[in-house]
Amino acid sequence: EEEDEEKEQGKGWALRWKEGLQQKAAQAFLRQQEAAPNLRKLVYGSVVEVDDSEDEDEKELGGIFRVSRPQKSKKFQANALDCSRFNPDNSHNWDLEEMLNSIRDCFVTGKWEEDQD
Amino acid sequence: MASHGLVYDGCNFFRQRLVLATLSGKRVKIKNIRSKDDNPGLRDCEASFIRLLDKVTNGSRIEINQTGTVLFYQPGLLCGGVVEHDCNTQRSVGYYLEALLMLAPFMKTSLKATLRGVTNDPVDPTVDLLKSTALPLTRKFGIDGEGFDLKVVKRGMAPGGGGEVVFTCPVRRTMMPVQLTDPGKIKRIRGVAYSVRVSPQMTNRLVESARGVLNHFLPDIYIHTDHMKGANSGKSPGFGLTLVAETLNGCFLGAEMSSTPQGQGDPVLPEDLGRNCAQLLLEEIHRGGSVDSSNQSLALLFMTLGQQDVSKVLLGPLSPYTIEFLRHIRDFFQILFKIEVQKPSEDERKGGDKVLMTCVGVGYSNINKTLK
Repeated sequence: EEEDEEKEQGKGWALRWKEGLQQKAAQAFLRQQEAAPNLRKLVYGSVVEVDDSEDEDEKELGGIFRVSRPQKSKKFQANALDCSRFNPDNSHNWDLEEMLNSIRDCFVTGKWEEDQD
Repeated sequence: MASHGLVYDGCNFFRQRLVLATLSGKRVKIKNIRSKDDNPGLRDCEASFIRLLDKVTNGSRIEINQTGTVLFYQPGLLCGGVVEHDCNTQRSVGYYLEALLMLAPFMKTSLKATLRGVTNDPVDPTVDLLKSTALPLTRKFGIDGEGFDLKVVKRGMAPGGGGEVVFTCPVRRTMMPVQLTDPGKIKRIRGVAYSVRVSPQMTNRLVESARGVLNHFLPDIYIHTDHMKGANSGKSPGFGLTLVAETLNGCFLGAEMSSTPQGQGDPVLPEDLGRNCAQLLLEEIHRGGSVDSSNQSLALLFMTLGQQDVSKVLLGPLSPYTIEFLRHIRDFFQILFKIEVQKPSEDERKGGDKVLMTCVGVGYSNINKTLK
């Protein structure tokens, strides 16, 4: 009996990834659209600053004290570490041959343009 | 509002705000500095930074409230000259030096700054990286000659420090506009593997593992080994690697890694560090452009302050720090950059998307410089 149950569960898993494929694709497309935005708008557009004065009123304790929690999800971190270094969050895997190939022409040993050779 | 000039919130981007305020002569007020933190107010390193700024300027007014959560800064004139400063060891010398690099060309007399403290740590750009990437970049804007140098006299690793660097920079009346639209191909890779208070063999292990990765691309790789001893080796043990790729058109892309400071986190093997650092350089090459990611803001500042002419520079993806810097340039100098994305063509294997930044300089001239 247990085996049957497991099988059914396995089936369930196998089928579940097919659910809502269209929706997922649409979401992925929208995400990509957001990831490649108009850079000018991104830089000079208005910054999303989370206004934390509103939610504070709701978290009152006993009418006198207010709970002040550091906002970790804040998009614009006003008090984050001041550092110029750019660490990518999704670093490429440089052990893969195809990643190595993607920058081969940056070197003098790579392929040259016709007019420069 | 008008009496306080520009008003900002929070301690992030602290240095860019003060540097741009100094260059533009605008007053700035920074509020809510860690106001909700258990330990509110300015940190020691930020206070140390303000003191350094006070040393290179004349007539600056700095007011800080009792808890240190509000800072008001009215910039004076940049006077330069001979400056000595003990940098707080919470941040490395690179933290202070990045700001000095931005200010130094606009001083009244040429700057000779002796900075003491941590020369190499994993957080900020180390003095070795600044020496091999930021200095050549600054030369492109017309600041060169004998007097432009950064010398590592003593090396001091985090957390103890005990290092010393001497930075000298001549003054210029105007900045030259630049056209850095084509970095060219990478012709060689240079680097420095350094170690203090550990076995000198560490540097050889670093070099060997880094070469293992980079030899796939180029034969012309030379990594110096630098083992400082005795009084020149600071107070803490450690090692690290700086790699710089030089292109045909004289652009420099750098990457670096330092060992974890003593007593903070897991120790690293030199082999791992060497390989990871080499891969970090590949990542930087993938981003590409004429300027590497940690020097983007320096290049953009010098473009802004250039003569009234068009400057162009090709960058890799903009870092969050650079994006904020662009916003600050708009606030302080009313300069907007033209930002165009350049996608590499299909058959080219030159890494990711690039960004072409174009602007017309404000025609900034160094009024402090004495005419001879």
